[in-house]
Amino acid sequence: MKRKNQKIAYVFITPALVVMTVFVFVPLVAAFIFSFMNMDIYMKDISFAGFGNYIKMFHDPRVWNATKNTLVFAVLEIPLQIILALFLTMLMIRNTRIHKALRASFYIPYVCSMTAISIIWSMLLNPNSGLISYLLRRHGIIMPNLLNSTKWAIVVVALVTVWKGFGYTLTLLSAAALDIPASLYEAAELDGAGNFGKFIYVTIPQIRSTISFCIVTTLIQTLQAFDQIYVMTQGGPQHSTETLVTYIYDRGFTTTHDLGYASTISVYLFILIAIATMIMRWRTQEKEETA
Amino acid sequence: MIKSKSNVLKIVEYIILFLIAAIVLVPLIWLFVSSFKSDADVIHYPPRFFPEKWVLDQYKYVGDAIPVFRMLLNTVIFAGAVTFISLFIDSLAAYAFSRLEFKGKKVIFSIILLTMMVPFQVIMTPLYIEEYKMGILNTFIGLILPRISSAYGIYLLSSFFSSIPKSLEEAARIDGMGDFGIYAKIILPLSKPALISLGIFHFMNNWNDLLYPMMLTSDVNMRTISAGLATLVGSNSIKYGPTLAATAMSILPLLVLFISGQRFFMEGIATTGVKE
Repeated sequence: MKRKNQKIAYVFITPALVVMTVFVFVPLVAAFIFSFMNMDIYMKDISFAGFGNYIKMFHDPRVWNATKNTLVFAVLEIPLQIILALFLTMLMIRNTRIHKALRASFYIPYVCSMTAISIIWSMLLNPNSGLISYLLRRHGIIMPNLLNSTKWAIVVVALVTVWKGFGYTLTLLSAAALDIPASLYEAAELDGAGNFGKFIYVTIPQIRSTISFCIVTTLIQTLQAFDQIYVMTQGGPQHSTETLVTYIYDRGFTTTHDLGYASTISVYLFILIAIATMIMRWRTQEKEETA
Repeated sequence: MIKSKSNVLKIVEYIILFLIAAIVLVPLIWLFVSSFKSDADVIHYPPRFFPEKWVLDQYKYVGDAIPVFRMLLNTVIFAGAVTFISLFIDSLAAYAFSRLEFKGKKVIFSIILLTMMVPFQVIMTPLYIEEYKMGILNTFIGLILPRISSAYGIYLLSSFFSSIPKSLEEAARIDGMGDFGIYAKIILPLSKPALISLGIFHFMNNWNDLLYPMMLTSDVNMRTISAGLATLVGSNSIKYGPTLAATAMSILPLLVLFISGQRFFMEGIATTGVKE
C-alpha cells in the first residue's frame, strides 16, 4: 500500500521553510522593492523612486568601472585556476602516499580564511618591510608597490585568489580522474598515446562534467569576490580593484548608506551572475552533447 | 635510452610539484614562525625568516590590542551553533523530500534549489534592515538564525538519503515505528559520513566568512575572528607583530581540524559536491 499524501511531511519541512521564508525569500523580494526606493540606513524620508535608481546606475561611472573590474578579475582568475589544477591533475593521476600528501598540502589554503591569507600576502608583498621585496632586491630587482598600483593590484588579488582555491579544484578533478577505469588508458597506450596524449584524449573527455562544474562554481565565486579585495586593497588604488560587490558594500554600508541604490546595484549583479551562469551551463552542456 | 628520458621527465615532474608545494606552504610557515618573533625581530631589516629568539611576546600583546579571545569564542559559538542546528533542520527537511510523498513536494523542492542561485550580496541589504527591525543586530541570535537552514544542505542530504534502500525502513514500519523513529534511528545513523562532511563544510565556511558577520555586527565584542581581523587591520588599529599572532590564531583551529580529519574535508567534498 502506498500512501499518497503523507501529511507528516509538512512537520518535517516546516522549520526549514520558515527560516528560508524569513531570511531568504522575504529579503529577496525586498531587494527588488528597495531598488525602486529612496532610503538610507537611518530609515527616515523613505520615498518611491521609480526607475530613478536604475537611471542613476546607468550614468554612474563607478558602476561601469566596477563591472569592468569584476569581469577582468574573473577573466584573470578562472582560466589560471582551472588550467593550473588541470596541469597538476595530469601530473598526479596516482594515489601514492606522496601524491596524497601533495594534494593535502595544496588544499591547505582552501581551509584558511581569505581574510588571513590576504593579511599574509599583504605583509609579504609590502615594498618596504616584506620578505619578497627584500629577496628580489637582493637580486637587483626593485619591486614596485604592487597593491598600490592601478595596473598590478587586480592581478595580485587574482593570483592570491588562485593560490587559495586551486587545491580545491585539483581535489575535485583528481577524484574524478582517479575514477577513470585503467582499461581506457591501456587502450590509448596500445594506440601509441604518451602521457600527454592519454591526458588529452582519455582524462579530459572523461572528467568533462567535473571540469564544467568547477568552471561554473569558480565563476560564481569570482563574481562575488569580496574578502580579498576588502582586506588587500579596499577597492583601491583609484577604484582599480573595486568590483560590484565591494561597490555595493561601499555605497550601502560605508560611505553614503544609500540602501536603495545599493539594492539597485545588487539586483544588477544578480542578473549578471544569473546570465553568466546560464551561458556557462548551456555552453558546457552543448559540448557534452556533441562529445 | 627511453627509460632515462622518462626518468628525467619524472624528476622534472617532482621538481614542479614540490616547487608548488613550497609556494603554498612557505607563506603559511612564515606566518607561524614569525608570530614567535620579538618586537625587534619583527621590524628587523633585512627581514629574517626565522625568529632570532623564539618568544611569546606577540601572543601576550595581542590580547591587549584586540579582544582576540572573545572573537575566537564568538566564532566558535556562531560556527558551531549554525553547524549543529542546520544539520538538524536540513536533515528533517531532506527526510521529507527524499522519503515521503506529499502535495507540492516537487514545487517546494525546486524553489528551495533555486535559492542556491541567489548571491548573498543581493539579500544583504534587506537582511540588515530586517534584523534592525527585529532588534537582533549585534547578537548571536542575529548571526545564527539566518544560517540555520540552507538549500545546499537540504539538497545534499536529500540526495544522500534517497540512496538508502526503502527495504530498510519497511520492517520498522511493520513494527509500528513512525517517521520520526525512522528518521532518528535508521536514516541518521546510516548518513553519518554525509552529515560529517556537510557539518565540516558549514563549520569551515562560517568560521571563515567575512562579509556576513561584518555586516551584522558592529560591536567589537560581537565580531567573529575574521570580521575582527579584517576591520582592525584595515583601520591600522593593531600593530604588525600582534597582527601576526592574531592571524595565526584565526587559522590554527581549522588547520588542526583539517590535519586530524583530512579525509572528511577532501573526500567529502569530492564525492558529495559534484554528483548530480
